[in-house]
Amino acid sequence: MTSEPRVVIITGGSRGLGAGLVQSYLDSGDRVATCSRSGTPQVETWQDDPDTSDRFLFVPADLSKSADAETFVKAVVDRWGQVDVLVNNAGVARDGVLGLTSDDDIDTVIDLNLKGTLYMSRLVSRRMLVRKRGSIVNISSIVGRSGYRGLAVYSATKAAQEGLTRALARELGSSGITVNAIAPGYLRTEMSHGLDEAQLQQIVRRTPAGRLGDPEDVARACQFLTDPRNNYMTGQVLVIDGGLTG
Amino acid sequence: MASNSAEQVVRDFVARVKPEAPALELDTPLYADGVGLDSLEAAELSATLEDELGSDPFTSDEMPQTLRDILAFYAEVAVEA
Repeated sequence: MTSEPRVVIITGGSRGLGAGLVQSYLDSGDRVATCSRSGTPQVETWQDDPDTSDRFLFVPADLSKSADAETFVKAVVDRWGQVDVLVNNAGVARDGVLGLTSDDDIDTVIDLNLKGTLYMSRLVSRRMLVRKRGSIVNISSIVGRSGYRGLAVYSATKAAQEGLTRALARELGSSGITVNAIAPGYLRTEMSHGLDEAQLQQIVRRTPAGRLGDPEDVARACQFLTDPRNNYMTGQVLVIDGGLTG
Repeated sequence: MASNSAEQVVRDFVARVKPEAPALELDTPLYADGVGLDSLEAAELSATLEDELGSDPFTSDEMPQTLRDILAFYAEVAVEA
């Protein structure tokens, strides 16, 4: 745990991997803000728990809309005055072969995964520039590197996030801001969408670690990347997949 | 009032990030051949103005080139308010 509580924004933290990331930063004593289009029982738990209620902020927001992203970041800055860490985790997938994918599905995935990440990174990096410090982590995916049948649009956005990571690292490095990405493998979360049990077991058999990942596996890597002591590492992608693509 | 505040914010910012810059006049270019702000410093000034004054001339259609441009933006905001 760092000596001063950090102000941490984690997008899409109401469930799945995002919720695991929120829990990790609450456990390390930080102030955590998250958003999603609607709340969940987990969000209500953090809001009601006396141990976390004054260190937790939830704002309903659809980050595919620039105005919502602005409202969210403004709410965080109004409450805590700064942002130390941004984790761009919010994402959506629509599976199906590209030849049958609708315009709406392409827009939905690109608008949230890519444009939402750009909106949030723009808003937060501006404020980090003023303070000359901060960390940004983009949650990409191994499918952005290896591809996956039926996830062409999703894979494209995840590969784009890694390009954004490298470009932004170069842009912001001289201002004391690190930008990295984490490419998780297959996790036991709702984002393992469209995979039946047989497919999941096949993935487990091919994974050297012999299991699917947990949100905590990713959270520990994220804590490492956002530790201010690790400010010589930027522009990198950490693959957390149990060795599946190693 | 807003223009006076904006002018002070800009002057404080320039004094902090470009202490070696020439005296800031109303028409001194903010970038090359003037104050010498680079693009990241311009983004920082943009965020600072937004934090201090609640609106930001760098988000308007034309990027401000001088202190006069910035003050004109806030004068217009004041008229519209």
